Amino acid sequence: MKKILQYFLFFFLGSLYSANLESTFLVLNHFDKFLPNADSSLIENFSNSSFEFDSTFNILFEDIDNHENPASSYMNTIKELGAKHKVNFILCNQIKHVNDRFMLEGQLFNTRSGGLIYRRKIDLTNYINGQINELSMWVGNVTGSVNDEWQKNRESILFRGSEDIEYKKTPMGAAMRSLVAPGWGQVYSDKKVSAGVWAGTESTLSLAVLISFLKYDVAAKSYKSNLKLYNETDDEKEVAKYRASAENNWDDHVTFSALAIAFAGATGTGWVANSIHAWIVGPRAYKNLYQKWDPKSPNTTG
Amino acid sequence: MFRNYKWFLGSLLLLVNLSAQVKLSVKTIPKKVNIMLDGINIGKSPIINDRINPGVHKFEIIKSGFAPITYDILVNPSQAVHLDFFMNPIYQVKFKTQEKGLVFELNGEHLWDDPFIRLDLEAGDHFLRVFKLNEIIDEQTIHVDEPKKFNYYLKKPVSEE
Repeated sequence: MKKILQYFLFFFLGSLYSANLESTFLVLNHFDKFLPNADSSLIENFSNSSFEFDSTFNILFEDIDNHENPASSYMNTIKELGAKHKVNFILCNQIKHVNDRFMLEGQLFNTRSGGLIYRRKIDLTNYINGQINELSMWVGNVTGSVNDEWQKNRESILFRGSEDIEYKKTPMGAAMRSLVAPGWGQVYSDKKVSAGVWAGTESTLSLAVLISFLKYDVAAKSYKSNLKLYNETDDEKEVAKYRASAENNWDDHVTFSALAIAFAGATGTGWVANSIHAWIVGPRAYKNLYQKWDPKSPNTTG
Repeated sequence: MFRNYKWFLGSLLLLVNLSAQVKLSVKTIPKKVNIMLDGINIGKSPIINDRINPGVHKFEIIKSGFAPITYDILVNPSQAVHLDFFMNPIYQVKFKTQEKGLVFELNGEHLWDDPFIRLDLEAGDHFLRVFKLNEIIDEQTIHVDEPKKFNYYLKKPVSEE
């Protein structure tokens, strides 16, 4: 019973103490360009902290690295500001833009000691909503609540490593498609003309194989039939007629057999060649660079 | 008693030395990159709660396939140092032209006149200058954002079309 009471007292005091520890910030922003949503985004993103904003105060934005003790340069000022605004911390955010980059310097002062307890300098290429995102990340680091989405937004400016780049279309994908259906890989690579040529050639060759085989089949069957009739008859005229027909059928069956084999070979070779061609002309990352301007008249562009 | 006194002094010195150091955290994108501090490998990123002495230091961040980073820093006493490094990848780029008699110069330092070459280029923008008979005939910025092949063509200027 005594132990339970002790635990209860511990949790009660703990929760009372933590309630008193709600972070209160005086935010001093110093931006060289107007950022309309800076204040509201902090309030929105960090609902467990309370913010007060004052953009009129400039003294804390001097370069503190020139001071002998950068961390304790403004102790009295910080303490006074803390007492005046009744906050635990003072957060100084400075954003400077240089060409397509921006520099964010954040400083966190503790109003109880007056000392600089945390400082962050970021120099980044501009990206969509980058200033607000970086501000949120910096304050998130201070308050211990960084949103993964902000990190992903920041990484949007980074180039991906070669092994991380996934190509939607690949030469191998084109080759495999052409192996299934001639011309499909070329269509996939957006080579419509060569796709038509390959599909047409392969279709014609396949048709030729089919016709040759059918004619071979007819010739072979006729030969067998004529041979049978030739063997069964004793009539002189019929013998001569069936013999001549059988000999024609034999010649046709040999010719169409050779043609079917030749066309089949050509179809197969063409099929493989079409797949290799699809791989060669397959989709790859490339860029054509054309001469940009005439040196004699540098203002023109071509 | 004397021995204990020496131990006490030694511990005190160690404690003073440790407390004078500054906390160091280094994060990189990509992760698992070798971090060299003043020429000494201090491990692979992310490095959390390491220690560094106040003063001037040099970081070198090296990973195969990425442009190495060298960063000098002045560490102030009583500060914790958190460093984030974003490494820029290097892409294999092919450069081809069928034009004759051209000399190419990239970023003011690399010169070539071969019709086909392979280059390892850092991701980003690069400045290409083209010479013909020792005269500049073209200047343009090429954007490298993936391993790719560039084909260079001379084209009739607009003024002559």
